[in-house]
This record gives sequence, structure tokens and C-alpha cells, in this order.
Amino acid sequence: MPQLRFTYLVCFAVLAAFLAASAAQAHHGWAWATDEEFEITGVIQSVRLGNPHGEVTIRADGENWVVEVGQPWRNDRVGLTREMLSQGREITVHGHRSAREGERLVKAERVVIDGQDYDLYPGRKS
Amino acid sequence: MIEQALVSVENLAFVSALRNSTYMYPLVNAGHILGVALLVGGIVPLDLRLLGLWRKYPVMVFVDVLRITAAIGLALAVVCGALLFATAAADYARSSLFQAKIALVVLGVSNASILARMLKRQDIRSLPMEAPMPPAFRAGAVLSLVVWISVLILGRLLGYF
Repeated sequence: MPQLRFTYLVCFAVLAAFLAASAAQAHHGWAWATDEEFEITGVIQSVRLGNPHGEVTIRADGENWVVEVGQPWRNDRVGLTREMLSQGREITVHGHRSAREGERLVKAERVVIDGQDYDLYPGRKS
Repeated sequence: MIEQALVSVENLAFVSALRNSTYMYPLVNAGHILGVALLVGGIVPLDLRLLGLWRKYPVMVFVDVLRITAAIGLALAVVCGALLFATAAADYARSSLFQAKIALVVLGVSNASILARMLKRQDIRSLPMEAPMPPAFRAGAVLSLVVWISVLILGRLLGYF
């Protein structure tokens, strides 16, 4: 009964695709974040730069937030260096926070360090 | 100690260069996807033939061709995957999704080598063309499909959690 088995497999594939699609809303791009503009200022605690994107942990009002900055070329393009994103520096982040309840994660559109703007996504309103 | 070893892997010069590269990282990523595509793209029709689809065509045609493309795909996925792993080794090693994925890869490779040995030992070529495959082969094929598709899904989820 190869036809019957094939039907099972198609069902399995559809289920797998559905699972993958619902998970895909979780992280890359902007779909996982809220549409509302968000701003936060804090002091940099730790930094992990590099592909697929950098992560900067900041402390704001006694809470740690993870800020997603660009991948290396995006940071380079606006002149955002490793030195500027080092521990102890104060940073203001404009961007969008995670839509997941209670998750302290922000994707940065623009950051401000020492009064200087670094616009990672010039095409987006921030 | 393991943590330190993983961090020193992350700090290797070429791993650091890859992590901070503009083009190499996405290209290695593409290599990993190409490997997975060859692997799963070979495994699925091969397993379906073992399960009884396309009985008009000799099973050994599927076996001889697709196990080579799948093995090349696996090799490419492992090499590129190891490079991607190295760029954030400590984080990946901690992730339970990653641990589960690697466990399933080991299971999938073991299953494939058992199937390969069974194919060598039993004279499949002399079976009548339309005959169903022995149950052990069909069980191996089902396991293979489930394992490799699960590996693919876990791998993708890793990027999001």
C-alpha cells in the first residue's frame, strides 16, 4: 500500500513545515519584535560581537537587557567600533523590543553613544 | 575545563576572522545548507524507495546514486557546520537543541552504516524487482526519514532560540 504510506509522509511534512514556520517568527528579521518604537539607556555589561549579529548586554534600572546590534559590516558601516561597545560605556538604544512577554531583548535600529548617533538601519524610522 | 577549551576554539585566529567576516560567514552558512539539501534530498527518495514507492525502478539504482550524493552532502554539512559551531562554541555546546541535534546526527549515521552493511550482506539485486523490501530495511528507512528530518528541524530552530 505505497499510496497510503505516502499520504502519511505528506501529512508529516506539512506538520513539520508548520512547526518550522511558527518557530521562524521567533528571531531573525523584525517579525519577533513589537511594532512600537522603544528606547532604553543603560551601561554595557558584556559584549559578544560578530556574525550572525552582535549582542550587547546592558544594565538599566537594575535589570539586564540584551541588545542586538548589527553583524560586523553593518556596525562598520556606521563607524560603530568594538571600543565604543565596550564594558562600562553608556549607551542609548532606539529599536524594537521582543514581543514575548517578559523577555528583555531589543533589536537596535539606532544607538547613541557620547551624544553621537549611529544609525544601523538608515531606511527605518527610529 | 571543557568551557575553557571551547572558548579557546572561539579565539583561534581563523575562527575569529570567520566570526567577524563580511562574506565568509554567509558563504559557510550556504555551504552548510547545500550539504543538508544534498543529504536530505538524497535520503528522502532513497528511503521512500526502500519503503515501497517507485517499484518499477530497481532499488539498487536509488542506492548506488543517492547514497553517494547524500554522503557528500553529509561531509559538506559536517565541515561547514563545525566552522559555524566554532564561532560560538561555548553557546552552542550549552544549547539543548544543539545537543539533541548532534545525538540525532550520530543516530542517523549509525543507522545509515547499519543499512549499508545489510545491503552489502543481503543480495538485494537478486530480489524480484517489485518485491517489498525485508522488514528490517523498511524499519531502517522509517528511522532514517524521521531522524534526518528531525535533525534539519532542530538545526533550523537553533537559529531562533
